[in-house]
Amino acid sequence: MVLIDGSRVIIESLVKTGAEVFIGYPITPANLLYAYGRQRFPMFIPASDEITALQMAAGFAASGKLPVTATSFPGLALMLESINMAYMMEMPMVIILVQRMGPSTGSATTGAQGDLLLLRGVISGGNPIPVLCPSNLEDCWDLASKSLHIAVELRTPVVLLTSKEMIMTNMSFNLAEFAPVKPVEKKYFQSDTTYKPYSADENMAPPFLPLGHDTHQVRINSSTHDPEGFIKKNTPDALANTTRLKDKIEKRIAEYSEFQLDKQENSDTIVVSYGISALAAYEAVKTMRSDGRSISNLTLKTLLPVPPEILKILNQFDHIIFVEENASGLLREIIYGQFRNENIRGVYKIGDMITPQEIINEVFLCQQV
Amino acid sequence: MPFCPGCSYQMVIEGIAGSLQDMGINPLDVILVSDIGCCGLIDPLLSCHTIHGLHGRVTALAMGVAIGLNNPHKKVIAIQGDGGVTIGLQHLMEAARLNVNLSLIVQNNMVYGMTGGQISGLSACEFKAEKMPEEKNIPPYDICELAHKAGASYSSRVVAQGDLNQKMAEVFGTKGFSLLEIWGLCPSYSYKKIKDINKLPCNERTLENPNDPYYLHIKNSSSLFDELSQIENRFESTLKERLQVIIAGSAGGGVQLAADILAFAGIASGLNTKKKGEYPVTVGTGFSVAEIIFSRNEIYYTRIDTPDVAIIVTQDGLDKIKNRIGKDTLLVINDGLDIPGMSESSLKADFRKISGKKGAALSAIALWLQQNELFPVEALKFAAKTKRSADTLIEAIENIN
Repeated sequence: MVLIDGSRVIIESLVKTGAEVFIGYPITPANLLYAYGRQRFPMFIPASDEITALQMAAGFAASGKLPVTATSFPGLALMLESINMAYMMEMPMVIILVQRMGPSTGSATTGAQGDLLLLRGVISGGNPIPVLCPSNLEDCWDLASKSLHIAVELRTPVVLLTSKEMIMTNMSFNLAEFAPVKPVEKKYFQSDTTYKPYSADENMAPPFLPLGHDTHQVRINSSTHDPEGFIKKNTPDALANTTRLKDKIEKRIAEYSEFQLDKQENSDTIVVSYGISALAAYEAVKTMRSDGRSISNLTLKTLLPVPPEILKILNQFDHIIFVEENASGLLREIIYGQFRNENIRGVYKIGDMITPQEIINEVFLCQQV
Repeated sequence: MPFCPGCSYQMVIEGIAGSLQDMGINPLDVILVSDIGCCGLIDPLLSCHTIHGLHGRVTALAMGVAIGLNNPHKKVIAIQGDGGVTIGLQHLMEAARLNVNLSLIVQNNMVYGMTGGQISGLSACEFKAEKMPEEKNIPPYDICELAHKAGASYSSRVVAQGDLNQKMAEVFGTKGFSLLEIWGLCPSYSYKKIKDINKLPCNERTLENPNDPYYLHIKNSSSLFDELSQIENRFESTLKERLQVIIAGSAGGGVQLAADILAFAGIASGLNTKKKGEYPVTVGTGFSVAEIIFSRNEIYYTRIDTPDVAIIVTQDGLDKIKNRIGKDTLLVINDGLDIPGMSESSLKADFRKISGKKGAALSAIALWLQQNELFPVEALKFAAKTKRSADTLIEAIENIN
């Protein structure tokens, strides 16, 4: 056994999978990731601010190196335009977002789950970005690796969404429980024909070549562009290219749809959680079952796009209880919209972890409705 | 060309293309990084690699490309206008400070051309006197001077007239960061004739530093798991249920280290263990609190609401956690710290006197283990032996015997 924290697991997994450069601007509570990144990554760049960090990440990606950065909401806010740029350019990278309590600077050392709705809208135009969220050390290992694979396969920035609690808590753990990670394979365009940087086949992610390639000209573009990478306004092929960005992420979700359903037959109530709140949910469900109550539990690991199976699962239940460390239930809002329904309830809280008892109380209340 | 008639960008493009040709550089060895604005229209005009980014960020993007390629045979050229420089000055300064191997061409036509001719941070006072007189006494940034002071290998300013090829060749031939600021025309919103630019105090000049270009360190490292101590189960624990312990003291008082040792000892006694710390963002001031949970089963929820055991060694620690102490909480507390209605069963000693400021928390843990027998004090000593300054730590534990 070892005593280990999630940051160490995430960084080790990313490097083992093939991430090459960590570009960081320090921010609490993501500092451990910066420190481990400095120690472990083949290349490490201390950026002068978060805009620089994301710009440099895109530059590294365009030169064929796989970048990782880590931040928290204030840094994410600065990165926002550059994430859109990397998304439009189709540059693979992993952005680890360690949530802390907001709004604004909020409280740097208080955990939270307050950024999911921002991530849902982070790309202008309604385009989705893949967001994976670990709720235990195995997830830190598996999903960090998965996030880099998706980033490369789909040619997109991917967010690994976590929180102070997951990143900084030390736990006893048997390292033998980690399955070996699959190293990422960089697949480059290989043909003597003219390279069109944004021309994709049915995979929807165009084959990559780095800038500076010796035999093919590479054009990368952040503005609306055609398959050759030239700026175009709203020509059909340019619009088709922009639409493809949405399609590749939504239509290939089966490749990265991760969730854990613990369904109990005859239960009419399901608890839905992700990340740190899943810990309280496990505990609450265990207690309720030992008290003879029937209850199901769903932990989402792929948060965005929400895997299509999720709604099918939730539709089987009369009562759905979201557990989220934010003010209003952001995952609930993404799935069900802004309007409240008495069968779709939640335990929402800021400033402290939600307790298992609070979940049990909510289950009791909803089953009385 | 896609520019307004008379625009100096035409001359800038011809200078870039002409000088690269003169230097015999293969277009596929060149990466042009373009900003937003009129300079963003350049991509289709050149047969080199191109990457077109955001407004003002071109130098940061180019740094990523240049450092990422890490190839002296590939030439990275970034281009932006005076508006882009104004919004992204930090990136220019950073590229100059690091002396990254890339060239930045800035066409300063005094205005934001694509949004209707607003002044920028690089607009000359004489230009502002006409365009926005209330700003006429505010000086423009002298980016050549700034880049030079920041450490750029080369920075130069010229007026867009005559043949720029030779100047560009000088810029592109530089190792490290090279900046060329070109004062040019924007016939739509700024100056239409070079003779008007020549009336301005352009102060054409070239500044050089003998600095080495940025060097990218690439390292081999071993697994982050290698440095972790493998903890064998070699002690017995009497624990049946989940047990929650809070250790509270002052920052710089060894609380987190003591908690690490306790957690280690718990694992060595076959228990599942979670440990987390809380302290202010400052170092060495205020409270330091550690929470440890032991269990026979897997531990999910990591919050301690009411601790089973609270080990408190300073007033800072007491102030921080006093509201979390329950009626059944066993207190292990330094003499002199006062909690109203404290139970008779509380364990009290002057740990700070016995083992000093840094050893107090560990001594308090040792006393608790001695009385409670959750696992042997030997497990604590075993854990302490794995730490630096093991002797001092073991002394703090043995002080209790």
